[in-house]
Amino acid sequence: MENKRKEFKNLEKWQDTLANCIRCGYCFEHCPMFKHTGWESDAPRGKIITAFGLLTGEVEPSESAADKMFSCFYCKRCEAACSSGVPLTEIFTDARKDLVEMGLKGPGTTSITELYCARCLLCVGACPHEARFYDGKGIATDPAKCQACGICLEVCPAGAAKIENDFGTGRDDLIERASIFLETHESAKAIIFACNWSYYPGLQASVLPESETKEKAYEILVNMCGGRLEAHLLMAPFLHNAWGVMAAVCPDDECEHNGNLRAKKIVENLHNTFKSIDIDPERIQLVQIPAGDKTLFQAEIDTFVDKLNKLGPIR
Amino acid sequence: MKTIDETRLRDIVGERNIKTDPSDLYVYGSDSSVHHAMPWAIVKPETTSQVQEIMRYANEEIIPVIARGGGSGMCGQAVPIQGGIILDMKGMNKILEINLEDVYCRVEPGVVDDDLNLALKQYGVFYPATPASSRIATIGGEIANNASGVRSVKYGATRDAVLGMKLVLPNGDLVTLGSHTRVEASGYQLHKLIVGSEGTLGIVVEATLSFVPIPEFRCMGVANFDALKDAGEAIGSIMASGAIPSMLELVDDVAIKAVNKTMDLGLKEVAAALIFEADGMVKEAVDYEIDKIKKICEKHNGTDIHASYDPKERAKIFMGRKKLFPALSKYDDNLASTSLADDMAVPYSKMAELAGKVHEIADENNIVMTAYGHCGSGCMHTKILMDTKRKDQWDSAKKAITQVYDYVRSVNGTTSAEHGIGISKAESFKIEKSDSLSLLAGIKKAFDPNNILNPGKLAQAPENWVTATNLRYSVNS
Ligand SMILES: Cc1cc2nc3c(=O)[nH]c(=O)nc-3n(C[C@H](O)[C@H](O)[C@H](O)COP(=O)(O)OP(=O)(O)OC[C@H]3O[C@@H](n4cnc5c(N)ncnc54)[C@H](O)[C@@H]3O)c2cc1C
Ligand code: SF4
Ligand code: SF4
Repeated sequence: MENKRKEFKNLEKWQDTLANCIRCGYCFEHCPMFKHTGWESDAPRGKIITAFGLLTGEVEPSESAADKMFSCFYCKRCEAACSSGVPLTEIFTDARKDLVEMGLKGPGTTSITELYCARCLLCVGACPHEARFYDGKGIATDPAKCQACGICLEVCPAGAAKIENDFGTGRDDLIERASIFLETHESAKAIIFACNWSYYPGLQASVLPESETKEKAYEILVNMCGGRLEAHLLMAPFLHNAWGVMAAVCPDDECEHNGNLRAKKIVENLHNTFKSIDIDPERIQLVQIPAGDKTLFQAEIDTFVDKLNKLGPIR
Repeated sequence: MKTIDETRLRDIVGERNIKTDPSDLYVYGSDSSVHHAMPWAIVKPETTSQVQEIMRYANEEIIPVIARGGGSGMCGQAVPIQGGIILDMKGMNKILEINLEDVYCRVEPGVVDDDLNLALKQYGVFYPATPASSRIATIGGEIANNASGVRSVKYGATRDAVLGMKLVLPNGDLVTLGSHTRVEASGYQLHKLIVGSEGTLGIVVEATLSFVPIPEFRCMGVANFDALKDAGEAIGSIMASGAIPSMLELVDDVAIKAVNKTMDLGLKEVAAALIFEADGMVKEAVDYEIDKIKKICEKHNGTDIHASYDPKERAKIFMGRKKLFPALSKYDDNLASTSLADDMAVPYSKMAELAGKVHEIADENNIVMTAYGHCGSGCMHTKILMDTKRKDQWDSAKKAITQVYDYVRSVNGTTSAEHGIGISKAESFKIEKSDSLSLLAGIKKAFDPNNILNPGKLAQAPENWVTATNLRYSVNS
């Protein structure tokens, strides 16, 4: 037991802080991973418990324990909501550093590079966290630095950058969920893609009776960071007869990954495309919502749906 | 440890609904209490028939089964003290029906309290038995603990809202208890017995709950007191006067200091403060209640008394209470805020004395304790702030807790107001209920002859809670 403890040179300093977590679980409702899998071991509190167990030696530094510590999108909503001011992501990062030393690297949510990488280095320049680099053979990711923002995935022309464990926030997942909603709800009009910060909690973990949801006009899908929006994703709902698509991102200076700025550019480009094919560009809208401003977010959604009602379906 | 037939469990709940990796088991060995113990498997049933099949298997093999909701219990109720299978009920999370005509809703047990209230809100109604932990606590967990909260002084606890339920027994049989009606006098009303049973009698798989209209008017106020005794006496007088507050909360000086120290809310550092609220459909009626409460506070030397209908002003008044948990956690870097002796209830007239006693006992044992709570319903909470690394602090905490509960019982109070007994409060519970323990054991045996449901809790819990399980802190020897 003692031996393992010594190996956690970075995590060690958090011993007292880990005791300060009162295990209230108030972080659950903010975590997109917990909401996706429903397992407490994926929730922030679960990771804090795992970190504690690693330090005391009660949890073996195994691949599955490491996978938990490497699974985080660094949205930091748990931290903002924490009852006890526990700096969760700093603790995760320190645990990661120690685990890497032990040869355990996740993958968790760390981005990886497939063999068919074109070595164009676009991702290296785009990564806001200096996590991607050329290691002499190919493009590698520093698992202690990667914050799983997914920007490398969206800039990679070869589709070689990947986050395998995307907890439902991957492009294919989102497209599938959007299409299911649009096809199973007669009243469906819009898909709202929201970053985890602009997203208001809604029902966090429960399901409403069908009678309550069948009239729904829109579905909100969390895509983690605005930086992960790209044309393919934003256009996909239109193939399933959506009347419009909205994307909610953080205000200009408030995204840790500068994903909002990328999103703005992409939506601008789509506006031009829409104009050129004679579709009202207002059918794609980007809104910037300060963290947790539920009222504004709801108001923006309502206005958007009103607008779509006036525009009607696309012919 | 028994060997678990993983294949059989997998067949019942499906590959994606079972975890047996030690790192997952470790996480599920904790809740919000000080305890930790390792389960053998975690399964997340999605249907009643899956719960039934799991119970049949566990009953055949005599394997402990512990239902788990949000894992926010504060006394180790969901900690698998004898190992076994954790039934993570969060997989049964459907709100099944909101029936406005008959004024009830039906929900699966894994529905989160806040979610239920969000769903009800659009109809102008709410589920009032809500605990402070409503963002994580599930209806199943609330039923098992008879949870209550700030508004229970007016609207009652979970037991008052539960009209009926479906329960899976340890042998896998499904029974329907209670009804969909407001009143029932048909025999033993076993649904009310299940409320507060801490998962030891059956697994709740569906609950029928009543709700109430959201009031048009809410007015909140605060009164400061230079002596804790005055505040305590004011509580007694308010409740005895026939006033009907919808909230009556006490915070003591330790709590106020903690909030000021960490949050800079500029609260006046008095010995105690009372936060009160009244609500209703008619403003004059609310005014009447508020005036009555204000006058009583004045009579008991309350100062700076004010109240407001304005939502912003109300939020400001409640901020100190709301920020109490974080404040206590950040009170001192070397002290952790632990849930020990965390709740109790005493008759109104003893409220002041209890709060004073808590402080006296804390000083005597060289630990920091705070007294606060939903005093309008007779409920007092404490937190023990201590250096969890030091073994002597645990000894002091243990001594202090015994003293607090000795006092509580001596004035005809009860060991738990709303957080339940679990492991940590079993010592006092057993003394309090000593003459009915054999009845309790008989009831347990009637429901669960093989003792597989959450064994080792309530009357079965070990005498010494400090050594009953591993503690979730690193304690130096
Ligand atoms: C910060 C904080 C504040 C709190 N404030 C309050 C408060 O104001 N009022 C209050 O009353 N409590 C409060 N609590 C305590 C706790 O939240 C409640 O006891 C709550 O009811 C527990 O619900 P849970 O879903 O988390 O249950 P868990 O902790 O998961 O389980 C508790 C017990 O319920 C049993 N159980 C769970 N589901 C079922 C089921 N379907 N069938 C049978 N048994 C089941 C378990 O076996 C266990 O014995 C607070 C806790 C925290 C951490
Ligand atoms: S919100 Fe903070 S204190 Fe509460 S469980 Fe999560 S990390 Fe711990
Ligand atoms: S761009 Fe984002 S996901 Fe990609 S390596 Fe950098 S931090 Fe990780």
